Amino acid sequence: MDYKSGVCTFCGTGCGNFLKVKDGAVHGVYSMRNHPVSRGRLCVRGWHIHELLMTDQRISSPMIRVDGSLKEVSYDEAVDFMFEKMSKYKEGAAKEVGFLASPRSSNEDIFLFTKLARTVFKTNNITLDSESGHRKSLDVLYKGTGMAGMTGSIAAVSKAKFILVVGSDVTKMNPIIGSEIHKAEMAGAKVVTISSRVSQIARLSTLHLQVNPGSKKVLLAALAKALVAEGHHDMEWLSKKTSGSKEFLESINSLNLTEAENLTGIAYNTIAAVAKDIAGSESAMAFWSTGISGLDQDTVSFIYNLFLLAGKIGGENCGMNPLTGIANLQGGYDMGAAPDLLTGFQSIDDASVVNKFKDAWGVDINSVPGRDIYNLLGDPASGLKALVVADHDEGIIRYKKEIEGLEFVAYIGTYLNPFMDIADVVIPVAGSIENDGTYTNTGRRVQLSRKRVDTFNNVYPGWKLYSSMAAKASMKWDYSSSEDVFKEIASLTPSYSGITYSKLEENFGIQWPCNDRFPAGCESLDAPMNGGVYNFAPVSSEFSVPAAKADYPILLITGQGQHFWHQNNIMKNTYIPRREYRATLLLYPNGYVEICKADADALKVRDKWTVKISSQHGSMNVDVKISEDVKKGTAYIPYFIREMITEFLMEHTQDLQRGEDAIIPIRIEGV
Amino acid sequence: MYLIEKSKVMTIADELAKEYELYGPVVDKAAGQVFFDRVEGSGDISLMAEIPALPPKATVFPQIESIMKYKYDRETKNAVIEPVFSEAKKALFGLRPCDLAGIICLDRFFIGQEFVDDVYLEHRKRMFIVTNTCVVPFKQCFCVCTDSGPDADEGYDLNLTEAGEFYLVESGSEKGAAMIEKLGLAKAGDEYRKIKKDVVDKSISLFEDLTTDNKAWISRVMNRITTGFIKDDVWEYVGKQCFECGACTFVCPSCSCFNIEDHNRFDKSTDRLRTWDSCSFEGYTNMAGDHNPRKPVEDRRNKRFFCKLSYSQSKKYLRPGCVGCGRCQWVCPGDIGLPNVVTYIRREITE
Repeated sequence: MDYKSGVCTFCGTGCGNFLKVKDGAVHGVYSMRNHPVSRGRLCVRGWHIHELLMTDQRISSPMIRVDGSLKEVSYDEAVDFMFEKMSKYKEGAAKEVGFLASPRSSNEDIFLFTKLARTVFKTNNITLDSESGHRKSLDVLYKGTGMAGMTGSIAAVSKAKFILVVGSDVTKMNPIIGSEIHKAEMAGAKVVTISSRVSQIARLSTLHLQVNPGSKKVLLAALAKALVAEGHHDMEWLSKKTSGSKEFLESINSLNLTEAENLTGIAYNTIAAVAKDIAGSESAMAFWSTGISGLDQDTVSFIYNLFLLAGKIGGENCGMNPLTGIANLQGGYDMGAAPDLLTGFQSIDDASVVNKFKDAWGVDINSVPGRDIYNLLGDPASGLKALVVADHDEGIIRYKKEIEGLEFVAYIGTYLNPFMDIADVVIPVAGSIENDGTYTNTGRRVQLSRKRVDTFNNVYPGWKLYSSMAAKASMKWDYSSSEDVFKEIASLTPSYSGITYSKLEENFGIQWPCNDRFPAGCESLDAPMNGGVYNFAPVSSEFSVPAAKADYPILLITGQGQHFWHQNNIMKNTYIPRREYRATLLLYPNGYVEICKADADALKVRDKWTVKISSQHGSMNVDVKISEDVKKGTAYIPYFIREMITEFLMEHTQDLQRGEDAIIPIRIEGV
Repeated sequence: MYLIEKSKVMTIADELAKEYELYGPVVDKAAGQVFFDRVEGSGDISLMAEIPALPPKATVFPQIESIMKYKYDRETKNAVIEPVFSEAKKALFGLRPCDLAGIICLDRFFIGQEFVDDVYLEHRKRMFIVTNTCVVPFKQCFCVCTDSGPDADEGYDLNLTEAGEFYLVESGSEKGAAMIEKLGLAKAGDEYRKIKKDVVDKSISLFEDLTTDNKAWISRVMNRITTGFIKDDVWEYVGKQCFECGACTFVCPSCSCFNIEDHNRFDKSTDRLRTWDSCSFEGYTNMAGDHNPRKPVEDRRNKRFFCKLSYSQSKKYLRPGCVGCGRCQWVCPGDIGLPNVVTYIRREITE
């Protein structure tokens, strides 16, 4: 029998899988029927993970840059080289050195990477993902409920009576969670999707609210206002169990409901009916994506406040459910891969927490929060000089020039990667199936993925690599396995304190917090974790929606192409998903813009014709795809071609601040 | 028909293991999932295990397999090409009848028509197949609707049917007869024909209501699909639930679509690989010159049901392409496993 069980490490859903392993190599994948999250399902990516794991596009040896080109050396030489080059930043490390951690690494590897940054290289400039969408969601939930993660549970989706999906193209980004929502709908739950484009989940919903571009937040505020206006809230419960409701109600006061109808394009009757459903359903959940092009913090705050107003935070089959797009994005934050956090969302401002880490690690650590790496890269006066990067490729698109301009770049990774063209030292580390490791899915489920094949070319596993680096700084890290690292994580992290490898192995993982209060883990939030009441999130009273202008009459919204998952750096090493991507490319070699038939007719263009798109900041040529998924006056671009991102979208920094609700007014002309 | 004591049934597997690589239903200890896969010895095989999640298709048509290697030397312009065939002799022990029907479909596709696929043939031609009658159907099964169970009637070398303290053993080939002789099995009296019939009839009576209810409907749906009398909105209803994951194809015992890719190895050689593919993928039907006859998802999705249930396709397989195992139902992120699609079409007919 050649099948070995484990966890899929593509997106944050955390499905169970089996890999066919024969003669030390991967030969196939199969789904897992008894897994509590995936229950026998995998998505198109998961069904082809073996193709990626079979690739020979691997970093086979440590390398250092000599006279402009990379030369293969031993681990010892590479680490020596790195320490020698970085020795000159010893004094100014807090400012000059940055660490870019990977949301694809295991908890153990991320933990050691941040420990290396803080104890050996003395910097708190640590960043996890290229867009901090997930962090914003965690901030809202942590301040509101004391739980820095999904407050509901994926296993409970099928039992929820009302489900709100805000924006997320969930059947493409986290397909198995999309499947759960679809199956809940088939079983009688009311599913409402808010988006400007007709996505698959919109088609599968009971009700799709096709809002005008950029007006999701306004609709959420209008739902809250309607909920109050129609008297569906329980003032007594709110005053007893929450704080900040008054301030929240004041901030939505300025919203005029008639104006909201105009801004969103949704009739008040519909808004009132949905508000009634949220409040009146026995249980209610909300989902939104948090990765690239996730919602901005204000919008997330409005979702949370709306559900709190309806009394649907905490409790059976309820949940505020942010969805992570990468396997260990949640785990990365749990491991404290942020400028201001230690593990388990413990603040680096908290002296008792810092002292606990100092005692455990036997070295002094800086308790002044660092800065976000992308923030540093975007600021020419930041003084950042050296960057250590683990398995990371998204950021390079936006900040390639800035990274090239740094004095020193080290890259630690498993697969060949664009960072290698820039790096001064490249150090290979064992891949996810070549080492034991835990991954925390979007539902706080910590899962153990056992080593399933031997390491490629004697590449070091994370614990060995990082220990060898610490040893260069005369620090003795006493690990002989990933499990040793996990024991240290559990000892320092209240939400992980009750978790052990053997417990994880028994139950397909455990949902944190797992400690004295929740010995078997915690499926869903049932009461505030902060010991007090639920807090409403502070929100703005800014309800404007970008409007089309005479010069730029069409509003452009952006999203991701189905097979172009995370800039395609991973999927290009597969066969079938890569073929699918190329099939789209064959049809639309320049990428495409979706517009409706009426707009295409007015422009006198047909499907696949090339058009020029211009905005205030730039222009690009793309092909037309005629689709009834967008309304008249709306255009949609999935960014799946590098040039579309670098040469057009990235110029719109201000607009992109709005995250998923980003709108760019454009003009389309035939060429 | 012959008899073997229940406690001795594994001696057949042991005997086969002397000459063949042994495959059978085996339960993964960590996750409790059943696979039809290579086993170390007969002790790993569980004849009572539920229908395996992984069908035995992978023994003749692996998920990904090297079918040729080549190496090109740029300097000398010398190319070395080496075909890769599996020469293993495989014994499949404890195959469920539906899965045998799946292999029969694959045989028709790969070696049963004008073009003979040598790679497949090499996997297949040295094979010994022992089927196991399903005395109790599993929850998602509907083989009674697709003429593929609960007992096998052709294509096996030996067939086992559990009956009380014995397994009834039937031979379906000369190889099978030789094995029975080698093992010196006792001949069963004529009364055992009736006993077997009772076992099978009892099994049929235990199928879920929906299955027995659907029995006549599958043939009606075949008629509808063949004649094209299914409204577009039914296919659209099905298509909008398709997540385009390909799972239904991968778990199907009779799905045979594949893709060919060249994989460049670290040592500069190249493996030509054959991988499972699926008609649900847009790139699968994409043709040169930007033409895609099945671009919308519902067109791709209904192709699967034409393949499984239309008469023209069944004529090629000499049986329906669907073997009634129900695996597509439990891996589907939508709700469009084949039995459900039959239900949707049936709903349209009755409305």
